[in-house]
Amino acid sequence: MKTGVLLAALAATALAALPARAQSPAPPLRASLNSDIRGTQPGGNRDFNTDTVLMHVVEGLVALDERASPVPLLAEAVEIAEDGLSYRFTLRQGVTFHNGAPLTSAEVLWSLRRYLDPATQWRCLPDLNGSTGLARITALEAPDARTVVIRLEKPAALLLATLARPDCGGTGILHPDSVAADGNWKKPVGTGPYLLGEWRRGQYIELERFAGYAALPGPRNGFAGGKQALMPRLRFVVIPDSSAAKAALLAGNIDVMSDVAAAELQELRARPGIAVLAAPTMGMSGLLMQTRDPLLKDARIRRAIALSLDVPEMVAGIVGQDAPANPSPLPVASPYHDAAQARYPARDLAQARRLLAEAGYRGQPIRLVTTRRYPNVYDAALAAQGMAAEAGLRIELDVLDWATTLDRYSRGDYQMMSFIYSPRLDAALSYEMITGPKDTQPRKVWEEPQALALLQRAMSTTEAGERQRIFSALYSLFMQQVPMIVLFNQVDYAAVRQDVRGVQPWASGQLRLWNVARGG
Amino acid sequence: MTLAYALRRLGMAVPTLLLVAIAVFALLRLVPGDPAQIMLGDAADPAQLQALRESMGLDLPWPVQFLRWLGAALRGDLGLSLANGQAVLPLILERFQVTAGIVLLAVALAALLAIPLGTLAAWKQNSALDLAVVGGATLLLSIPSFWLGLLMLLFFGLKLGWVPVVGYVGFSEDAAAALLYIALPVLTLALIETGVLTRMARAAAIDVLRLDYIAHARSKGLRESTVLRRHVLPNAFAPTLTLLGIVLGNLLGGIAVIETVFTLPGLGRLMVDGIYARDYPVVQGTMLFTATIYVLVNLLTDLLYPFFDPRVTAE
Repeated sequence: MKTGVLLAALAATALAALPARAQSPAPPLRASLNSDIRGTQPGGNRDFNTDTVLMHVVEGLVALDERASPVPLLAEAVEIAEDGLSYRFTLRQGVTFHNGAPLTSAEVLWSLRRYLDPATQWRCLPDLNGSTGLARITALEAPDARTVVIRLEKPAALLLATLARPDCGGTGILHPDSVAADGNWKKPVGTGPYLLGEWRRGQYIELERFAGYAALPGPRNGFAGGKQALMPRLRFVVIPDSSAAKAALLAGNIDVMSDVAAAELQELRARPGIAVLAAPTMGMSGLLMQTRDPLLKDARIRRAIALSLDVPEMVAGIVGQDAPANPSPLPVASPYHDAAQARYPARDLAQARRLLAEAGYRGQPIRLVTTRRYPNVYDAALAAQGMAAEAGLRIELDVLDWATTLDRYSRGDYQMMSFIYSPRLDAALSYEMITGPKDTQPRKVWEEPQALALLQRAMSTTEAGERQRIFSALYSLFMQQVPMIVLFNQVDYAAVRQDVRGVQPWASGQLRLWNVARGG
Repeated sequence: MTLAYALRRLGMAVPTLLLVAIAVFALLRLVPGDPAQIMLGDAADPAQLQALRESMGLDLPWPVQFLRWLGAALRGDLGLSLANGQAVLPLILERFQVTAGIVLLAVALAALLAIPLGTLAAWKQNSALDLAVVGGATLLLSIPSFWLGLLMLLFFGLKLGWVPVVGYVGFSEDAAAALLYIALPVLTLALIETGVLTRMARAAAIDVLRLDYIAHARSKGLRESTVLRRHVLPNAFAPTLTLLGIVLGNLLGGIAVIETVFTLPGLGRLMVDGIYARDYPVVQGTMLFTATIYVLVNLLTDLLYPFFDPRVTAE
């Protein structure tokens, strides 16, 4: 009896809380994240979600535009010296930090020096201190309060693209108040449209509108122009399970569901009051082949595998009409992705069988590593296995967890691997991610010396025509040697409730909640 | 005597915990996957990876890593998370509060339902009531917790809109809201554990009902309700208590599936996230903590047993 009374009292208390909740002030705009952020230092201890949140808080001298090319953001203008050895940034006027201090070259210098200090453990330091061969900054200067000069050891075509990368935290310019007197990190005091509010680890991260934000004029343009903080508060809610995230969206507990799993798409699209938005990103899905494997070192077998697959049909089965099949390492959104790269080579089972016979293939098993962490990756492996069997190829799947897959990838320990590459925001980087000497970088797929030479040229020239010629030559070579089979560029999906407007997936795949509002 | 017994049992737990620590440490290192690689992703170059490994101390020989960790653990320092630099012990304690709140409520609720139900079913053995109770219990313990959780979420959260679908609020912040947020996970867990406990309670009650003193009580003319309340229930509770201890020990170690479905920041999710991220200090710390909890709960159960079954002494 007493138990019944107690339970009834508990239930009554709980139900009594419902109207109280309904009367509370309008909740923030809530978007799901599939895992918590790792930290608040731009480009520090980070992952994709960390970058997504911090790109609302900090801004760099340059930022990626809608097509993922770098354009000025905190800089008003960028002048590149004729010899390519110095970059002069003129700062915009009227920009203030979250603490009210105006942006000057002193803060820019402080931020850049801090990033270049190994103690900061900035992710992109190896790219700018000469370690990776991308660029080497030799000096930072501030001739006056509005000018910053970066000097380089030799010309680097990718300097601006690197500074703008979200995984580098956009090289966000910070106020020194971001660190304590002892140099320890406090929180980012940046210039972005939102400032960091409460972070409840494992639960949510809340951002608050920065009233003093100075937006670039014009429409929304990538991470750069036209940012308007329409909602006073944003809340990124950590929901690891995609079914729970879907239920939360349908129940109105969140407004935006980011990173929608393929399995949820069909149902969400059929639901009234929910809109599913999609855009291809610069991320790439493909089947890697180990060119040092006793069997797959024969290019005829690699080509036979490629010819056995009907990739457009495979891609249609995986992502429907949301992304086309793309045979090129360059993403469809890249300005260097030309007409020749838009046509996927046709499936040719007869030719595949002929090549296999020539190469002396006698049905030896080929092990294909895949993971269920990303359903598309697994689906691609499954489809490839089935299609290749029609040409007499015997592919067997090894399904591993993501950490093990990544480990095998980095050691080059596979025959074939269904893999997903994170977005590379410059055409040269798209080739760089797969090209290199395997002796020192076993994760690289392609170690053709001619390709390496072409890549070096692409990394040092900024002239668009010259770059296009280089990338076309690289593509021809790539298709001859088939070190991997590119399938498609990953799709960025977001599902939103009917009363939410302004969400727009784009090439980088990162969710942007500026220019987004609920109601009205 | 009881204190000496408890101390002796705690002393015996030390080798167990040491074995757990060694096993978890070794297994984690044997499982492929590199925390530095996971943090840096597919774009990491070998120099970056090596630098990060060195900064995390992962380049040291395994025995050195283990002894360093063990030495710190003995001083109450379980290290820092590789993923986000947080101190592991406070993180575990914070997450444990969430898990413990839900588990204690759910197990209490399950026990309140299961013990009377099991006793009733035993009393009416082979009747329609017994069949219904046993059938219901079997069904409940056969349902996967994630599926039941999702059903609950869809029905009470989505269709009826009675409770929020995601989120968590601590009791210290807003008790009423906290109840709303944990209602479904508690109910889900309670239903599943009710299935387990009911069967045990029924079996224990059947054993007791066959004993001579029950026949003697009945022959004295005692009413059936008195027989059940005074003679069957207390004597049948002791074996159920053992199972309760095991269930509590298991659940307090983390209810990862429930926590994932209901988006609760509990101990189980911490461990699962730690395993995926190969966050060695978090996984080692959580496992050691879980093993300690298990040992303590079992000890507590053993110490309580004599109160319910005087034939057993804590010696």
